[in-house]
Amino acid sequence: MSATIAARAVGLAGRRARRRHALTEAGALAFGLLVIVWTVLPIYNIVMVALEPHGDVFSDAVWPRHPSLASFWIVVSQGYWYLEFFWHQFGNSLYVGIAVTFLTLLIGSLASFSIGRMRIRYGWLVSNAALLTYVIPASFLAIPFYRIMQDYGLANNLWSVIAAEVTFATPYGIFIFSQYGRSIPIELDESARIDGASPWQIYLRIYLPMMAPALVAVGTYALLLAWNEYLYQFLLLSSKRNMTVPVALAQFLNSDEAPWNYMMATAIVYAVPPLIIYYSFRGRMTAGLTAGGVKG
Amino acid sequence: MGNLSRRSVLRGTVCLAAGGELARPYIANAAATTAVVWWVQGFAQEEDVAFSKVVADYEKASGNKIDYSIVPFAPHRQKVISALTSGDVPDLFPANPAEIVALYAWQGKLVDVSDVVATQQAQFSDTALLSAQCYNSVTKRRSYYGVPFTGAVLPVHIWKSLVEKAGYKIDQIPKAWDAFWDFFKEVQTKLRDQHVRNVYGLGLQITTNGVDPNNTFHYFLIAYGGKDIVTKNGQLHLDDAQVHAAVLKALTYPTTAYKQGFVPASAINWNDADDNNAFHAKTIVMDIDGTISTEVAIIKEKQDYDDIVTMGLPLSNEGRPVPSQLTVVNALIPQGAKNVVVAKDFLKYFIQPQVNNEWLKVGLGRNIPIMPATVRNDPWWAADPHRKAYSEQGVLGETVPAYWAFNPAYAQVQNEHVWSTAWIDMINGGMTAEAAARKAAKRINDIFAQYPIEQS
Amino acid sequence: MASASVIELHAPGMRRHTTVWHILQGSLRGSEYNWALAFLIPYTGVFLAFVVYPVVYGMWLGSNPALYGDLFSDPIYQDTLVNTVLFIGVAVNLKMFCALLMSGFFMRRGWWVKALLMVYVLPWAVPALPTFISIHWMLNGEWGLVNNIIYALFGADGPSWLNSRWLALGSAIYSHIWKWMPFWTVILLAGRMAIPQDLYDAAKVDGASGWRQFVHINFPLLANLYLICTLLSTIFTLGDFNSVYFVTGGGPANTTHVLATLGIRDAFDMAQPRLGVAAVMSALPLMIPLVIILMRKLKTAEVQL
Repeated sequence: MSATIAARAVGLAGRRARRRHALTEAGALAFGLLVIVWTVLPIYNIVMVALEPHGDVFSDAVWPRHPSLASFWIVVSQGYWYLEFFWHQFGNSLYVGIAVTFLTLLIGSLASFSIGRMRIRYGWLVSNAALLTYVIPASFLAIPFYRIMQDYGLANNLWSVIAAEVTFATPYGIFIFSQYGRSIPIELDESARIDGASPWQIYLRIYLPMMAPALVAVGTYALLLAWNEYLYQFLLLSSKRNMTVPVALAQFLNSDEAPWNYMMATAIVYAVPPLIIYYSFRGRMTAGLTAGGVKG
Repeated sequence: MGNLSRRSVLRGTVCLAAGGELARPYIANAAATTAVVWWVQGFAQEEDVAFSKVVADYEKASGNKIDYSIVPFAPHRQKVISALTSGDVPDLFPANPAEIVALYAWQGKLVDVSDVVATQQAQFSDTALLSAQCYNSVTKRRSYYGVPFTGAVLPVHIWKSLVEKAGYKIDQIPKAWDAFWDFFKEVQTKLRDQHVRNVYGLGLQITTNGVDPNNTFHYFLIAYGGKDIVTKNGQLHLDDAQVHAAVLKALTYPTTAYKQGFVPASAINWNDADDNNAFHAKTIVMDIDGTISTEVAIIKEKQDYDDIVTMGLPLSNEGRPVPSQLTVVNALIPQGAKNVVVAKDFLKYFIQPQVNNEWLKVGLGRNIPIMPATVRNDPWWAADPHRKAYSEQGVLGETVPAYWAFNPAYAQVQNEHVWSTAWIDMINGGMTAEAAARKAAKRINDIFAQYPIEQS
Repeated sequence: MASASVIELHAPGMRRHTTVWHILQGSLRGSEYNWALAFLIPYTGVFLAFVVYPVVYGMWLGSNPALYGDLFSDPIYQDTLVNTVLFIGVAVNLKMFCALLMSGFFMRRGWWVKALLMVYVLPWAVPALPTFISIHWMLNGEWGLVNNIIYALFGADGPSWLNSRWLALGSAIYSHIWKWMPFWTVILLAGRMAIPQDLYDAAKVDGASGWRQFVHINFPLLANLYLICTLLSTIFTLGDFNSVYFVTGGGPANTTHVLATLGIRDAFDMAQPRLGVAAVMSALPLMIPLVIILMRKLKTAEVQL
């Protein structure tokens, strides 16, 4: 008897819990919808302009009136003067993006390992000095950078851009790595050392895998910085063959007339690779969580 | 076609400053006949093609090499400033924006090019010559610091179909200044009666972004008799009664039209392209905007292309022609350029009337010559109705130079958009024309105080 | 220190005698020290080659005291300062707080949450220049998408978003938050993921959930990260001119300029780069305390688990 009452009570509690769960899930879905509207609104405008056959940006329309994929085709087929070297410039952007990401992660994690894990003396001097990079906003260091790149003989060279972007991304990486690394117990390093591992092996086998989520976060930051930053690319690259896509986009500002639909289509095509890269590496974030994050 | 990569190839790979110094002597001899030119990318592909052709022809004729890059407008501006600040300058570049000829001449950062200008002195219009003759505060004299090669004015662009939809004809547009603009108020009223939502009659750029607002204000100012606000000797005449009256009228008319609802409300914060966007969407009936890029942009859409009427300025209220302020673009050679000789030689080649004309024509005539004989002698300029109206306004008609040519202080006045601010003070801030004019005058006087020009 | 004791355990026979070299080395010995040094050299090289010279040169560009006289006498400077403080204060804090909430949201399970995250990071992935121009178009009072939608839904005319100083500044702040919130969300999400799962499990066993979980687990562990991110974001936002420049152009009538856009205007529109650098340097009295706090934070004792 009491068993059935108990069973019914459990059933009731279960149903109540399920209802609460359903409500919170519904609430989450509604919130998710809000997030989509918030995020997509300006992007929808970009898409609308890109789909416009005449490149009109002002109208009273809410939906694209006569959508046409012609602009995307023009971008992909390099069918407009400004986009003559689009794929080559895209390749330049890819080259710069990957180089900057790789170098930022490498240099930043090495420095962070040395300072934060190996506790090299006066290491704090380096991480504090790194902050100097940010005291003057990047947009205003552009002119001095222009000068030094001329001095180093790197004018109109993609490596000048790579150097500039790595310079700005790495201090940020060092901070995030040092912050994130605090949650990884130092005992892991020590037990490995006792087992006879060299610092390089500790770095490679223990540190990097445990830092996976931070690596993805900083790597994406570095990639997107290099991908979308334009001021330094304006200044340091001159010829069409060496330009990156952000500089190619600047062509659309040559006068007060421009085929805005092509510009917006270019922006959309250009935004796809970082998303793909982020998506492919996002899995490692969760992998890092299950493989590591151990309390010890 | 060369570009800066040749230089970097010669310089070698990454090296520090010392290493860079070692590499330079290697190219010293090659530099003797090579000039580095940073040109601005045009609006139409044909403009770039035209420039490449001029360079190729020059190289063949002279044996010198021109190492040129065609850089988009915004990066070009930033590169030039970085180069002039850091000291590593090219040999030649066009003034982008146009007024830097006055600013850099003032600072003594440009090479005197009087010898180049002299080769075509008779061909240049007076306005062009005045726009290149700038005051150098180091030598304390005026001289030619730029070589004019093209210019721009603001024509009026009108949608014929919208005018006709309102029940009017283009030839019904009045010729006198105030009546001209009032006409478009009528057109808007009639169109609104037909339930065309969000259409506006007057596309006046009452904003603090871009170059056209300054020009628009000056056109109104000149029409109302305020032409001599700054005179050739660089003196400011804001206190002059005629100028003051003109200033008040130039401040009042557009703001009144705005408050009456005949100018789009967003106009007070348009960026440079917004008026063009509105015009193309046929949401404004007329637009006063620099060059005929509005038309050239849709040259392939025959129906719309023919639907636009391009017109010069109306007459003043007293029935006299109103001179258009012509913004002249000069080619500049900075101090510290490594090959001034070839740069000057190239310029002498470039400004020959037939070369200049050919360059402009291949570039679809979006830029106009600053040599009146060119337009008079070549029927091509009158062949297309838009080009005809534009060249008549900007080349054959009466023009005046931009005020920054007389005094670089005015370049700062324009870049601070002092007059547009006055307009918006009246619209958003509720100021009277007198108060707004007084505030603007104070700022202009403060700026002029920083640029004292000795009167000889 | 723990590592020192390990080393002593490892080589009990090693005699400790102090020399300058040993002082410099600290607790690392022999090849270990060489490794640590080698690891640090790449960044030091980058720093010396690409930071010292530009920063020193940049500061030199802005060092003439006369520049500041010109700067302060610019009629829009005071408004610009106010705008900058407002912009940074509101944009950074609102953005970080929302990022914190969103990072919590994205910890939820479900395939649709993962898919949503992909959409959510779009603002970060799209290039700034075209995007902010698009926002400028979208906010146009007569013909922009936002007011078109408002008219379609409610039949009323939306406000002219970019016409008044405060609406325009708000629009710029909105643009900044829209663009950068995903980025900080990802960082805080990584931080949340670093919290060991068994802490959550232990908490659940103890009967804590939701809010209490946040207060007792998340907050202490995330607090330091959140603070560092806020400080960094403040420094970054000071240099953000895209959000204002393309969306409001500094208008109407130059009333929505921030120091970054004023600096760009002075440097490139007025061809006075030194004045431009001075404009940003005039924020140093704010920046330097921030940087010092950030330096202190980096030395804080680690979080106790």
